Amino acid sequence: MSDSLDELIICSKCHKLHRRVKLPHKKVAKCSHCGNILYSSVADTMQKAIAFAITALTLFIIVNIFPILKVTIASEQTNLIVPEMVYIMFENGFIVIGSMLLIVVLLAPFIVLLSFITLGVLSYLKIYKHFARKIILFLIISRQWAMVDIFTISILVALVKLFGYAEIHFGVAFYALLLFVIVDIFFLKTIRPTELWIYFDRKYSDRKYSKGS
Amino acid sequence: MREEKYIRCPYCESVNESKGDIVYCRNCKNRISGKKEINLQNAWALLIAAMLFYLIANLNPILVVVKFGVLSESTIMEGVVSLWEEGNYPIAAIIFIASIFVPLLKFILILYILINYKKPTGGSRRVDQAKLYHITEVIGPWSMIDIFVVAILTGIVHMHNVKIVAGVGATAFVLMVLLTMLSAMSIDIRLIKEGKDGD
Ligand SMILES: [Zn+2]
Ligand SMILES: [Zn+2]
Repeated sequence: MSDSLDELIICSKCHKLHRRVKLPHKKVAKCSHCGNILYSSVADTMQKAIAFAITALTLFIIVNIFPILKVTIASEQTNLIVPEMVYIMFENGFIVIGSMLLIVVLLAPFIVLLSFITLGVLSYLKIYKHFARKIILFLIISRQWAMVDIFTISILVALVKLFGYAEIHFGVAFYALLLFVIVDIFFLKTIRPTELWIYFDRKYSDRKYSKGS
Repeated sequence: MREEKYIRCPYCESVNESKGDIVYCRNCKNRISGKKEINLQNAWALLIAAMLFYLIANLNPILVVVKFGVLSESTIMEGVVSLWEEGNYPIAAIIFIASIFVPLLKFILILYILINYKKPTGGSRRVDQAKLYHITEVIGPWSMIDIFVVAILTGIVHMHNVKIVAGVGATAFVLMVLLTMLSAMSIDIRLIKEGKDGD
């Protein structure tokens, strides 16, 4: 796996080929053609990501246990709780929508967080190299399916539609959700697949990472 | 370094040699490129199916309100219009762009790539195409907004006298998004990348 192809990187925007170089602290590598950021130095971003993944997991559990909204319509009160919402979809016979929701707002985000944490533990102990590689692949795939941020915007849109018909109170889970999205956007989504591989190479090789010419 | 020799794995970003008809990623073992004819056929079939579901999704209600046993249904467009009439212009615009415009844009782009892939394209146009494709990939998931809104309203409004449920259009919409994604995935990057120029 340490062939010369590992030293190359192709820009995701314009498909220009580049050679990977070792970056100094807090620097980014940009595409020479279109300026798209290819990767940034990973040493502390990954440590941060793993630490924040633990925070995010705590928030995510709160999001899914407590009500996001408490709504009163015509003197009847209901709560919006995410897993219950998915359950109602299935109960009403909307299996396609229910499955989609189950994946994009529950399973995928949960798997992403677990993967980050597991990767952190394994790479810290420098054990199960092969399994750690599988986790990175799993993480990359599952995070394309995580849509909690879009879901959060949708809650705001739904609020607009309910406005005037209902009395609305925000629950604990709503604030946890906002925090979760902030942590996700600033510390987890910013990690590029290439950076995960660089981190992996570094953690699991005895030699220092000194590729690039 | 000749660029045509290399291909980027869209799943794990690693660089692979573009050798032969079928390329499997050396890192994640995903198939990143297959026989072009088959890929094209798949992309066309999936795209046409997606466009059919787009029609179904737009012609059928995505939201059904049951008030004292009386049904009132609304399609995506009716939802946009009523938001607009109530004065919620930004949200009406967001829903319109996310649910109606973005899927259309994606169709047009995939169509454009599929129709033009045989013609020689100049270097700069090829770059534009790759960029546009990249943009639609990024904004693609946002077309789920309206479906999420329906799900949230269903999750909230389930009282004795008033109930909101999803309509047939919502299921069609989810299937449309899925098919568009699959279609875009089967246009492998080599179809965009391979112009007959050789810069
Ligand atoms: Zn570039
Ligand atoms: Zn790969």
